Amino acid sequence: MSVQDLILGLHRFWAGQGCYLAQTYDLEVGAGTMTPDTFFRVLDRRPWKVGYVQPSRRPTDGRYGENPNRVQKHFQYQVIMKPSPDDIQDVYVRSLASLGISLADHDLRFDEDNWESPTIGAWGVGWQVLLDGLEITQFTYFQQCGGIDLSPVPVEITYGLERLEMFLEQKDDIYDLDWSADVSYRDLRYREEREFSEYNFNAADVGTLRRAFQASEKEAARLTARGLLLPAYDMCLKCSHNFNLLDARGAISVTERVKMIASIRVLVTEIARKYTAVREEE
Amino acid sequence: MEFLLELLTEELPASHIRSALEQLEARFRQELEAARVGVASLRALGTPRRLVVTGDLAAGQEDREAVVTGPPRSVGVGPDGAFTAAAKGFARSQGVQESALEVVTTPKGEYLGYRKRSAGTPTPVILAEAVPRILGSLGFPKMMRWGTNPFRFSRPLHGLLCLWDGRPLEVAFAGLRAGGATVGHRVLSPGRIEVSGFADYKDRLAANGVIVAPEERRALILAQVEARLAGLGATVLPDPELLEELTFNVEHPLVVLGGFPESFLSLPLEVLSTAMRKHQKFFSVVRDGKQLAHFLGVADAREDARGFIRTGNERVLRARLEDARFFWDQDRKVPLAERAADLGKVVFQEKLGTYEDKAQRLKKLVSYLCGRLEEAETRDDAVAAAGLAKADLLTDMVREFPSLQGRMGGLYARAEGYPEGVARAVYEHYQPAGLDEESPSSKAGAVLSIADKLDSTVGVLGLGIEVTGSSDPFGLRRNAHGVCKTVLERRLRFSFPHLVDKALAAYGDRLTLGREEVKRATLDFFAGRLRFMLERQGFRYDLVGAALGPGLAEIHDVFLRVQALDSLKVSPQFEPFILMAKRVNNILRDQPRAKFSPELFVEKEERELHSTFAIIEHNASPMIARGDFGRAQAIIFRLQPVLNAFFDSVLVMAPERKLRQNRLGLLQAVQRMLAQIADYSQVVVEGEKPARPAGSR
Repeated sequence: MSVQDLILGLHRFWAGQGCYLAQTYDLEVGAGTMTPDTFFRVLDRRPWKVGYVQPSRRPTDGRYGENPNRVQKHFQYQVIMKPSPDDIQDVYVRSLASLGISLADHDLRFDEDNWESPTIGAWGVGWQVLLDGLEITQFTYFQQCGGIDLSPVPVEITYGLERLEMFLEQKDDIYDLDWSADVSYRDLRYREEREFSEYNFNAADVGTLRRAFQASEKEAARLTARGLLLPAYDMCLKCSHNFNLLDARGAISVTERVKMIASIRVLVTEIARKYTAVREEE
Repeated sequence: MEFLLELLTEELPASHIRSALEQLEARFRQELEAARVGVASLRALGTPRRLVVTGDLAAGQEDREAVVTGPPRSVGVGPDGAFTAAAKGFARSQGVQESALEVVTTPKGEYLGYRKRSAGTPTPVILAEAVPRILGSLGFPKMMRWGTNPFRFSRPLHGLLCLWDGRPLEVAFAGLRAGGATVGHRVLSPGRIEVSGFADYKDRLAANGVIVAPEERRALILAQVEARLAGLGATVLPDPELLEELTFNVEHPLVVLGGFPESFLSLPLEVLSTAMRKHQKFFSVVRDGKQLAHFLGVADAREDARGFIRTGNERVLRARLEDARFFWDQDRKVPLAERAADLGKVVFQEKLGTYEDKAQRLKKLVSYLCGRLEEAETRDDAVAAAGLAKADLLTDMVREFPSLQGRMGGLYARAEGYPEGVARAVYEHYQPAGLDEESPSSKAGAVLSIADKLDSTVGVLGLGIEVTGSSDPFGLRRNAHGVCKTVLERRLRFSFPHLVDKALAAYGDRLTLGREEVKRATLDFFAGRLRFMLERQGFRYDLVGAALGPGLAEIHDVFLRVQALDSLKVSPQFEPFILMAKRVNNILRDQPRAKFSPELFVEKEERELHSTFAIIEHNASPMIARGDFGRAQAIIFRLQPVLNAFFDSVLVMAPERKLRQNRLGLLQAVQRMLAQIADYSQVVVEGEKPARPAGSR
């Protein structure tokens, strides 16, 4: 089974659960949680079911293509079900079976892991799902997002596609994975990892990144004030990515770090507040 | 009759299960006792997915008799002695015969009334009402909501099984209606299982992949560990905490033996065990105290016939160890001193400055402390270590494995060729991690550990941050315990208040509170922690109080004092002496300081007291100075008969002022000497009411 087959399998499975299959969001994000299909849609009271692949960029995880497990960009398969169905754990277990995993031969564990993202004022309670000791999924009952208590409670299921694929293909090196029958992960990603590691750690211009951060921050505030919440949120995502790049460049002190994260959170929680205020009126 | 309750949940964190089981057992016992239901046996048990209570309970509440009062006797009984209309009305309203009425005496006077016998409520009725209340009262450190439910629990709830005497009992909780069925293991046997009682429940679950009793799972793990290692001639590194956690992580334990490439054994043992223990929850396998290239994991499965579980875990561990090796190699490319130079960019605490600031303060403190301890040869190592101690916070290894802080720095320092004393001091400076953990083994390590912990404590208290029962965000208790434990174990003698002064001075004007205020807060805080530690060691609370009385001039003296009091408390001289010391204190209470001169003594007994006191003081003073409180105390006992005679024959409060002042002056001199040994007023002796201070923990 290739990465592509895995994605198709998950698409088919979650479409079968009534999920709308979203397309990848076109901005750099650190996690699928941050895209509007999750961030905005969990805030209101309406039911929501969605599944999508989201590239996740974590500049500090880059290893110049030299580490068999770590990359500065990986792919997540993100599922949101709101309200969280009573049998969601069983459904999730069935999704693994649908991929051809014979669970009776393996050790499947729901291991306590409470997730939080201070940047977008979100936290949840749940597990990391371990398959024979390998973390393949983050399984979270969202409690808060954008600083707002969520009701009904959504469940977020985030599969790490490379991890899961390494399990399925029984391979030790991420670059040896098959993306499709004749395209390997190495073909697609190796050069990208090398060049972006160099960019993230050494070449990115700190001054430019700082200016970009400040410009997006200002723009986010301005757009929020005008009630243009989706564009304002995009600006917050740009802030977040620029922050991650500055972090990888080693340009952020500990105090500055806390301050920058707090400044993004302030913007995001304001957007969430306005968004829910409007949705409640509708 | 048998009661069985099972709450089926999604996977609960291990710590939550243990706490829930304790809460359940305590609450059930409490409720049943309050309801007067006899409990022959009761226990709580469980797995990650089920909280279970079972017990043998009485069929119903004990019967009860209560007196119901009606009209006053004067109203209910006529002059002819017959019941009046009021009495008859009362009997009717209560549905009892008039003949049941009798006169009852109450504090308000005599009334008519009757004895109402109420049959005890059947236990199932009580349980149906108590179960939801008990389950709803369970508290967890972190609670959550799910779906559209209004309930909060540790994890979502799935089912309720409740049996009384083998039959389903109607109970509802959090939208769940109890039935007589449960489900098996999530993967091994997820189907529905009907059960008829606890023995049946336990057996059927076992047949369906769930060992419901924690002690049985623990025993299974231990037996399998032994079986897996039999061929290797190796043993497992004992790790009771991990065993406990794993016991509550699985419903059906399967111990899996795996291996990793021998080449990783070149990594420091600390790194290996952290990667295995912290991240993968593996036990280490050792032979003759040496780590082998094997591990033991505990899976939630019946068997690993195809070896997938073993190879999967091996693959994950290998990736982790590869990462660790990468960090170990990369980190060593930058000398520690070079990293230390970057500590100015890392904030220790916003108001207290960076780690560079801390390093500078620590250098001063360890230098001072080495001087006080007359450890000149330790000074160079300790000062060098103070400069390097925090540098490992900037290494990739510590970023990845924060629990290795300090130890990593020590390992890197050793690899870089620093003197062993420096490397060891860096390695040990976070020790002891707790009261039952090891203190630093080297002098420089001990000095640096004390300095680091005191520096943090003084700094945080100096910002006005208080430690309360539930809030100790900076771990100041652990810090204070660490300082005291190290001082006591190494028998370090130095003036603690002076060290606090130095620590305060090192902060310059960074602290928000005044120095005197912080100093007092620090000394009080340490005194409280020392009290806690000494009581924990089993010393009597009043003796601890007496030993703390003279103050914290030297931490170690407090221990020596309480030890002396403890060993002498059985002496026949002890109680008379304590009573005498209290008498001295009482008579001197509120008296201004007075002087005495020997030529003013009149009575023989006061002369004798003076001469005995002079000899005793001469002998005891050097003993007190070197902390030999036991011997000093033994000598001082001899004052008791002389003081006794003095009080019998001499009128201290003599009408003549000069005489009075002279006698008070002599007693004050005696009191001053006694106060150097202990505050005897805190010792409780036979016949006195114990006056345990509140909040002495």
